[in-house]
Amino acid sequence: MTTFRAGFALPLEELRDEMDRLWSSLTAAPPLHGWGVRGDGAAFPAVNVRESDRAITMEAELPGLDTGDVDITVSGEELVLKGKRPAPHQGVEPQASEDGGTVTWHRRERGFGGFERRIPLPTLVDAAGVTARLVDGVLTVTCPKAAEAQPRRVEVRSA
Amino acid sequence: MTTQIQTTAAETPPTGATPAPAGQPAAAVPEITYQPNVDIRDCGSEVIFDADIPGAQADGIDVTFEDGVLAVQASVPARELPGRPIRQEYGIGNYRRSFRLGEGFDASQISADYRRGVLTIRVPRLAAVRPRKVDVRAG
Repeated sequence: MTTFRAGFALPLEELRDEMDRLWSSLTAAPPLHGWGVRGDGAAFPAVNVRESDRAITMEAELPGLDTGDVDITVSGEELVLKGKRPAPHQGVEPQASEDGGTVTWHRRERGFGGFERRIPLPTLVDAAGVTARLVDGVLTVTCPKAAEAQPRRVEVRSA
Repeated sequence: MTTQIQTTAAETPPTGATPAPAGQPAAAVPEITYQPNVDIRDCGSEVIFDADIPGAQADGIDVTFEDGVLAVQASVPARELPGRPIRQEYGIGNYRRSFRLGEGFDASQISADYRRGVLTIRVPRLAAVRPRKVDVRAG
């Protein structure tokens, strides 16, 4: 049986990184335990939102999710993201192992389970025109602004 | 059995500014390198790594195994949404992380698969070296 060899190349930096990581995972527990190592403990998923003249675009990182795992609802001035991330052992099954199939976890940093996020939108949007794409774990939702919320150019007429 | 996988910083600079390659405009290259979140499970015959690397492309991901260190590096193409930011909760950058596994693994059989933003690396163990009985001959 092989034993992993312990050893640090840069002891202090590595220790600091690992302590940071451990600490973040303790303080960033809800709503998905163990997920928020990278962020600051905010809700999952983290989102970026941008506003242009014509649309409000939201992007979220959802690695491991398929299109069927995400539910997007737009109502009035709120966008609701709902979904579920499958448990990490699903999808990739280990090859048959000689020692009775026992699995030892060395790291469990990726969270799993259900999530719901409500994102307020700055203006009314055209709910019927909302489109969403999920590519390589990146979700992009484009919400066209409602006609009354779009900037309108007013011609000045001379008398 | 006591097993341990160490995160190694041998090739991992601290998160922060990564200098843009010379001769390229800095704006075209994401400047931050993140450590991806990983799950690591040891299934006896192999060790399986799952890493969250959203937004990458399979040909932009490098997986190396050298001197017992498994290193993952992914370059993420810059992407920008139209308009002005009104909510910014995460940054976009490259990913890099490495792990010290030690010996006893079959480097030629390591496989990596990128799907839905998750990189799955399977590192199989070498077939166990069996104890060998040596016959003692009488002279």
